[in-house]
Amino acid sequence: MKKSILLVDDEPHVIRVLRLMLEREGYEVSSANDGNEALEKMAARRPDVMVSDIQMAGMDGRELCRTARARYPDERFPIFVMTSMTASQEREWVRELANVEFLEKPLSPRQLIARLTTYFTNAATQENPHA
Amino acid sequence: MKNNRIGLILVVSSLAVITLVVSLLLERQHTEQAEQVRAQGLGTVRSLAVLPASVLLPPPGQPGVLASLLAGRDNPDFAYAAISGEDGRNLAEVASPGAIVPPAAPLALASFDERSVAAGQNTRAIREFRGPLASPDARLQLRIGYFEPQGFLDLKDLPFYALIALAVFLLVPLIYIVIKREMAPLAALGEQLKTLGAAQAQAPTQELDANQDVRGLAGKLNRYLDHTSARIRELEQDSIASMASGRLLEYGSNKMQAVLQCLPDGLLVLDPAGEVTFATGKIEPLLGVPVAEVLSQPVEAWCRDPELRAMLARFRGAGLDARSQMTIEFNPLGVPGKRLWATAQALTGHAMAYGTLVVLRDATREHLARQAGNDFVAHVAHELKSPLNVIGMYGEMLADVGIDDPAVRVEAINVIQDEVERMTSLVNNLLNVSKLEMGSMRPERHRVKLDDLLRDAWQQARSRADAKNIRLDLQVARDLAAVSVDKDMFRIALNNLLNNAIKYNAAGGNVTLSAEEGDSDVVIAVRDSGIGMTPEDRERVTEKFFRVRETGEEQRGGHGLGLYLSNQIVELHHGRLTIESELGHGSVFSIHLKKMPALAEGSQVL
Repeated sequence: MKKSILLVDDEPHVIRVLRLMLEREGYEVSSANDGNEALEKMAARRPDVMVSDIQMAGMDGRELCRTARARYPDERFPIFVMTSMTASQEREWVRELANVEFLEKPLSPRQLIARLTTYFTNAATQENPHA
Repeated sequence: MKNNRIGLILVVSSLAVITLVVSLLLERQHTEQAEQVRAQGLGTVRSLAVLPASVLLPPPGQPGVLASLLAGRDNPDFAYAAISGEDGRNLAEVASPGAIVPPAAPLALASFDERSVAAGQNTRAIREFRGPLASPDARLQLRIGYFEPQGFLDLKDLPFYALIALAVFLLVPLIYIVIKREMAPLAALGEQLKTLGAAQAQAPTQELDANQDVRGLAGKLNRYLDHTSARIRELEQDSIASMASGRLLEYGSNKMQAVLQCLPDGLLVLDPAGEVTFATGKIEPLLGVPVAEVLSQPVEAWCRDPELRAMLARFRGAGLDARSQMTIEFNPLGVPGKRLWATAQALTGHAMAYGTLVVLRDATREHLARQAGNDFVAHVAHELKSPLNVIGMYGEMLADVGIDDPAVRVEAINVIQDEVERMTSLVNNLLNVSKLEMGSMRPERHRVKLDDLLRDAWQQARSRADAKNIRLDLQVARDLAAVSVDKDMFRIALNNLLNNAIKYNAAGGNVTLSAEEGDSDVVIAVRDSGIGMTPEDRERVTEKFFRVRETGEEQRGGHGLGLYLSNQIVELHHGRLTIESELGHGSVFSIHLKKMPALAEGSQVL
């Protein structure tokens, strides 16, 4: 079964490129323009991984992460946040939440694919160590 | 007191005494004479009284006793002799020349007596002796009058004056001695005064013998008074001078106070113990504490800001190090939203520590400017990073996917081109804004044919409009009036307006660039069928970095500089940029420019 990825970014070019690249890698990709739309998509179906920008109009990435974690406390799907801000206060709030990781901007789609591959491989190994 | 005056008094006194003695002698002689007259008068009266009336009253025509009495008088003072009846009528009378027999007074007793008859108008005073006659039938009296002696009119008062003179004669030396004794301290005072007086005039006084004298004293007093009044004048002048310099000082001090109060910075002066000795009125708006609460109070009593307190505590009782200066920046608790610089400086000089001078300066504007600068850098960095991000991603995609997918290749190249263009426009606008704000962007205005300028701008914008499937129309008359503009700058303004009109538009929409000529101005309008703006956004849209908050699907990638620049450029050309807009119904941006006057000879048309 295809792994589902939810992309959240207000920059259409970013969504466009990532969708194209991830779909080529065999992922099922859904996208949202901002936090609110992402929560709507999430209500329909929880993704295996969420990739989100932080600076967005409307509900921003930070609030989206907090809301998602609060709304679905049992879900452990990882969230990759894309940020160009590497200031300590950004690291701060991320530490409060479980399974949130940074993706440095400018984002390399190859790097994202590598991270996703690593994650799913590890997850598969943990679920089925003898496979 | 002078000796000769005392001598004179003594002479006068002795003369008075001599007069007294003489007058006493005369008095004595007069008394003796009066006794004599009395004895004679009374004797005569007694001796005549025993004679019979008939003898005394002779028949008419015959000389009687009285006549013989007159004839044989031996006393020159004899005045008259008369025999009077009871009714006062004179029965017989004789009188010496110049004498008038006065009327008889009734004889009270049958005895001999005497009376005084006061002097009349033409008569002298008379002493009259009288006695009853031995006549059994008629009560007759015999009167003999004598003139009172003359020449001793003041005789009665004289002895009194003489006695006073004697008393003066005796008292003068006594008084002199007493006065002299009493004058001794005055004379000493005179000496002192003379010394005082001589302090100014070196010449010693010549009146050596007058030292003892009141006149000398008066003289010295006068000199002393002169000296004193001169001294008083000097003192008065000094006082006037010092008053004037006091006024000057006060004026200077007031002026300095006014100067200090007028300073835009707040000033506080603390004494070495940390109490405020001076504060200007600017303290209140800066710290939010009234001056009255600050004066004569220690810092802890009024200062709520921990940063300021900490700094002032460091300066309390500080030594003579004039170099010690410290500046902090803080937000005062008393005035929200303010940012202050506080500089503390030890006040020293003449090897004294006077305390601490604290200068408070409003740094809110600078703080905001700094913040705006930081925001600007962050904003520009973000604006540059976004296209770079997109370019990087498309680059990777082009490398990985584009090789076998021509559609992806075309898309990637287009996006990369767009993003490069977007960055170029941003960088250009940044440069222009920077030039504009540094004041180095000065329009070089030339006479320009407006229709050419607009046609150029229209041509440039067409490719972008086509790419977004937007119809771009040009409605410009060929014979449009010339305007005086800087061509390059004006092109930037027009491009920004056209770019916005295309950017904030929907596919299938349209943009019209038009120009209309009025009486005195030309209006260039960029009309779009785009998303429009709320009235609030319309007010702020020409602010630097202001971006309309986008709600739609599409990302338009503005950077908040285009309209700001356009507006600034139009204003540099003394024109006006007006905006009409309605949310969802598009906008009209109009540039109003003054028409050029008729073409002057030799002017160049570009």
